[in-house]
Amino acid sequence: MGTDYILELNGIEKSFPGVKALSNIDVKFEKGVVHGLVGENGAGKSTLMKVLSGAYLPDSGTINFDGELVDIHKPSDAERLGIAIIYQELNLLNKMTVAENIYIGRSPKKAGFISWKEMMRASQEILDEFHIDIAVDAVLGNLSIAEQQIIEIVKAISKNAKLVIMDEPTSSLTEAEIKIMFEMIEKMRKNHVTVIYISHKFEEIFEICDTINIMRDGEFIGQYPVGDISRDEMIEKMIGRKLVRQFPERDPDIGDVILEVDGLCDFDNKVHEVSFELRAGEILGISGLVGAGRTELLELLFGASKKKSGKIIIDGEEVNIKSPKDAIEHRIGFVTENRKEEGLLLSSSVAMNVAVANFRRLAKFGFYVNLNKINDVAEEYVDLLSVKTPSVAQPIRFLSGGNQQKVIIARWLYSDSRILLLDEPTRGIDVGAKKEIYDLINELSHEGKAVILVSSELEEIIGMSDRAIVMSEGSIAGEVDKADFSQHLLTDYALRGRAKN
Amino acid sequence: MNKSKSGIVKVQQAVNKLGAWFIVIILSIVLSIISKNFLTLNNVINVVRQVSVTAIVGLGVSFVVLGGEIDLSTGMMATFAGTNAALLTTKQDMNTWLAILIAILIGGLIGCFSGVVVTYLKVPSFITTLAMQYVINGLILLTTKSMPVTGIPDNFVMLGRGYIGNVFPVPVLIMLVLFAIGAFVLKYTIFGRSVLAVGEKPEVARLSGISVNKTRVLMFIVCGVCAAAAGIVMTGRLNSGQPTSGQDLALEALAAVYIGGTFSGSMLNTLAGALTWGIMNNGLNILGVGPHWQKIILGFVIIAAVLLDIARTRISAKQSASAA
Repeated sequence: MGTDYILELNGIEKSFPGVKALSNIDVKFEKGVVHGLVGENGAGKSTLMKVLSGAYLPDSGTINFDGELVDIHKPSDAERLGIAIIYQELNLLNKMTVAENIYIGRSPKKAGFISWKEMMRASQEILDEFHIDIAVDAVLGNLSIAEQQIIEIVKAISKNAKLVIMDEPTSSLTEAEIKIMFEMIEKMRKNHVTVIYISHKFEEIFEICDTINIMRDGEFIGQYPVGDISRDEMIEKMIGRKLVRQFPERDPDIGDVILEVDGLCDFDNKVHEVSFELRAGEILGISGLVGAGRTELLELLFGASKKKSGKIIIDGEEVNIKSPKDAIEHRIGFVTENRKEEGLLLSSSVAMNVAVANFRRLAKFGFYVNLNKINDVAEEYVDLLSVKTPSVAQPIRFLSGGNQQKVIIARWLYSDSRILLLDEPTRGIDVGAKKEIYDLINELSHEGKAVILVSSELEEIIGMSDRAIVMSEGSIAGEVDKADFSQHLLTDYALRGRAKN
Repeated sequence: MNKSKSGIVKVQQAVNKLGAWFIVIILSIVLSIISKNFLTLNNVINVVRQVSVTAIVGLGVSFVVLGGEIDLSTGMMATFAGTNAALLTTKQDMNTWLAILIAILIGGLIGCFSGVVVTYLKVPSFITTLAMQYVINGLILLTTKSMPVTGIPDNFVMLGRGYIGNVFPVPVLIMLVLFAIGAFVLKYTIFGRSVLAVGEKPEVARLSGISVNKTRVLMFIVCGVCAAAAGIVMTGRLNSGQPTSGQDLALEALAAVYIGGTFSGSMLNTLAGALTWGIMNNGLNILGVGPHWQKIILGFVIIAAVLLDIARTRISAKQSASAA
């Protein structure tokens, strides 16, 4: 008990056939503070978490938890010690109440039967302790994602968790929900619960964490108090080299107007009276907060959802896009935000993933699909976009995020799209791979493709676009020319729409 | 050391490619060792002849299962097609081929109905086809007055019992032709590829411009047509339209699909699945195992086969991952 450190790792090593996933990890985590953990994909963060959760056994090294030498062989060991991991995918039951979720598998009993009264009371007590305003009898599925995550944390704490590890908890939260989550983290800090916070969002790390811990290629690079390291220094340590200019030099060659949107509205009021123009060779950034209607706008343009009113005009003629099929015929391509759910056939081959939007193009006599041709085409694009894969027959789930994204872009290039809708195209992709995607987008615009780039990262909008529009609450809150780009102005527009209401 | 390792990998890859055919081969070898009566030309032809009806139904069901749905009504669809064709040829004196065509069209229509209910009204396919099974059963009993329809013409009977050159059974020929067509459709047509995409992730398929709804309805139609075709062969073999003949057929066909592990994307797996089923049946008969025990054993065979398929997929996933 007489230690200031909740967790001490000494010489932790873990290898898999052909890979050293963790090499000689030595680090101490101070009690009761929030530790940010950053690193590129494959840096070893997940492996380290799995060692702490009991999913993997380290090859060598020792773990001290709360001053005592411990062995974590299985998940129940971790739980008993008081280590809780909050994954992106929540382990909760949607149809049950908050109280049941907190006490699942260990419900208070009376004479051998579940005592609902006691369960509700005990749950209420924990919620009160953290000043959380969620009803214990609320059905979990009716809560927001942030609230559900909070319940997961509460559940962990009710099991006496002393160390809560959060793996990218805010990736699917709106701005308002992130605030709620941060308040929860503050409360944990006040209650002397230690937090390890894994995130790719650097602003969050700097805002909420007390220390920054950096991993790279399975090694622990260092632990820094948050005031002692700049953002650029952090990124340099993450990628192991000097930060070069991430965004390509833009020398845009902007042509005629290809796409005009006039007063577009959808049925859910997520998109309201949106009008803009897009020119050949142009990259138009769309900025705004999560939930501002950016994705919904792209879905309308692509025919993935129904428009209520307004016009879509391509090459000066009004078009009627009722389905993605129509959009593809009008040479529009859509790289969706959620790669795994909406973009990829994960168990299918790279070739199939390139071909899936192009069966009609690949078909002879209107129905005969030549598989050899699919492979040839896929190989051509794999070369062209330098996708790293052993072959086009490789199931795409084994490719890295960046390479998967290139395959989706290849899909739309092969279907001859000249309007590319890119929704958060670099989400979940390594810093290095991001640069490749940026270069690719830049090249495509030089070939005359018109690009709409939706991004939550202001730097990306500023670094890539020739012009940006800012959406807020479904409408366009402002348009900014490249000359006037600043994070301040874009944020201002994004928030201004909100202030109006 | 290295050499033997690559040898193991090669064996693994070969097993992987064979899929359910591996089970067929192993079973055949084991049975031919145990009994001299198994590996005779007559017996082999007999096995294939017996599985032809199940296999043809399984062919149709494969499309539905690959497309992410299920069809429990195929047995009844098969029976209905058989009794319809039998009624048309006997009571209406219709030309056999025309009667068969009409019966198959009705099969397609029923499949279309299920498909529309599943796709547009969004009733889960398990429930829709479970219900349709009762509807069709009722229609069969109504149209046949629950009596067998006898006296069907010779060319109809030939489809189930005939031989080409006294050796090769006509139903086997029909099965092989239909599988050739089915395998081609799955691998080389827009429809086939769309079924795979829809089955894996409907949202991705939709955003890729595939008409998910049309694909779904069409796969139920294909299933209905195959079931009806199987029903015609079955009726020929029974020499009459039997209102209760196809009762186990739907589940047997599903078993063939799952044993075959068609999810890995080749239609021939279903054929292997059906053959596994047939060989097990035949082998147990030869060994003199009683019919009640046969059922128990066959039930466990389904579980064992699926377990094997899971293990196989895991191993191949590991290999691919380490290759990446």
